[in-house]
Amino acid sequence: MVGLPVLGLLGILEAGRGIPAPLSITGDWTLEFDPAAHCANSPGSFERQRAWSISQSGTEALITFNDGRATTLEATVNGVALTAKSLTATISGKPGTRTLEGVAGFDGCAPVAFRAVRQAPKKGGV
Amino acid sequence: MLNLFQLVLQIAVILVAARIVGFLFQKINQPQVMGEMVAGILLGPSLLGWLAPGASAALFPAASLSYLNALSQVGLVVFMFVVGLALDPSELHGYGHAAVLTSHVSIVAPFCLGGLTALYFYPRLSDDSVTFTHFALFMGAAMSITAFPVLARILTERGLLRSRMGTLAVACAAVDDVTGWCILAYIVVLVRVAHAARPAWVTIAGSFVYVFIMLVVVRRLLPALERAFRKRDHLSDNLLALIVVLVLASALATEWLGIHLLFGAFLMGAIMPKAPDFTRYLLHKFESVTVVLLLPLFFAYTGLRTRIGVGGGHAIWFYSAIVIVVAITGKLGGSMFAARLAGMPWREAAALGVLMNTRGLMELVILNIGLDIGVISQAMFSIMVLMALVTTFMTTPLLEWVYPTRLFRAQVTSEEVHQSVA
Repeated sequence: MVGLPVLGLLGILEAGRGIPAPLSITGDWTLEFDPAAHCANSPGSFERQRAWSISQSGTEALITFNDGRATTLEATVNGVALTAKSLTATISGKPGTRTLEGVAGFDGCAPVAFRAVRQAPKKGGV
Repeated sequence: MLNLFQLVLQIAVILVAARIVGFLFQKINQPQVMGEMVAGILLGPSLLGWLAPGASAALFPAASLSYLNALSQVGLVVFMFVVGLALDPSELHGYGHAAVLTSHVSIVAPFCLGGLTALYFYPRLSDDSVTFTHFALFMGAAMSITAFPVLARILTERGLLRSRMGTLAVACAAVDDVTGWCILAYIVVLVRVAHAARPAWVTIAGSFVYVFIMLVVVRRLLPALERAFRKRDHLSDNLLALIVVLVLASALATEWLGIHLLFGAFLMGAIMPKAPDFTRYLLHKFESVTVVLLLPLFFAYTGLRTRIGVGGGHAIWFYSAIVIVVAITGKLGGSMFAARLAGMPWREAAALGVLMNTRGLMELVILNIGLDIGVISQAMFSIMVLMALVTTFMTTPLLEWVYPTRLFRAQVTSEEVHQSVA
């Protein structure tokens, strides 16, 4: 009565071990931009984009910019690639020391190279 | 910084919404608590935040929610004590094979189906910060819970608590709740130990010591409270305060051990003396403020974290349908077939399955723990909240359909006649 379900559950757990999950990017990130980057359309744009907060559900992610307006950008995680309307980046490192490297464009500025480091994994909603 | 005006305004809005929606749900034969849960969802991004994002942001700014959360957590601690208090192991006596078989299958079947579902959802709605084992075990536990308090309330409101079916359902739900919480405690420990600096053996050894102290030492001291109650037919304010302190101390012990605050409160309630008049007295003392004031805050906080249909496109509705079907198949189907195997007629077995499928408030508690410890994502949380609402909402109409109240009442009457003759 108990043995069969337990065996079944163990089988499920064993089968699930081989399933890859999307890379975790949830948490607070600090950003560094190419020091030579400058945006004539919106001076100071890159200085305002020093921190992001990302929430994630599977392959769907929501990037919230720390720009005083809490602008959000919907993004998708596909393997090691993070893509959004004005952003492409590569995810690297282990969950505890994850980094993003890519190019992003803000406030009508031409895309510039950036590097982001995750502060500490953030759990929970709201 | 605490904005007192904003917090009081939030509480007032939540209470008004909870009472109005609760009243409307009662009008359609749903328990009040079902309406209160829906009111919480309506105040969140699923409705208010979607219809009037400006008003929602002004009323519930993200920075203010920590205070709302703190109040709702205090309410939950007291509520879990009340749930434990209402549990009586002696209720299982006399129901033998049917109760034991039904309660076990009603946990095992949805648990295995939940684990199986995890194979599909893990690559879609989780990420690599959570291991598959933790995700699958949590999904299993979340699928297998029965809302003992909501179930008892539905049966009471319909006058069915004393029927054979009602008492059997309550007994099975009580076993489910205790087992479900034990499984969840194990999962929380697994997840927290994987991320904690403290060695695993401290949590494990500490948990054994804690349970030993509670069951052997504290449990033997508690009858003194009942004796004090018998002397004066009530407890002094000092003794009531002592009970609150014991609940908080037990909750703090489990939180410190890395299990969770709520397990300690639940266990404290479960080991209290179970004399009916003493239990009724304590329930009366603790239940009012918790149910009327603090639980609606928890529902609202849950609603603010729930984004039904927001993001994820059509896939989210498809995922929700899968979860709802699996949850009903495992819990309702599992309980029904087990009861039938134990010799109950089909109609009664189906009614028992419907009752066991009530997840309600307890499911929301478990899901919030899952989201807090990061074992489920925001989208999975919202899908499971929707499942909890659907399975709770369907209980009353489905029960009326498979086992009309007149049949229940006839059963209660014939049992009463049988008892009086005996």
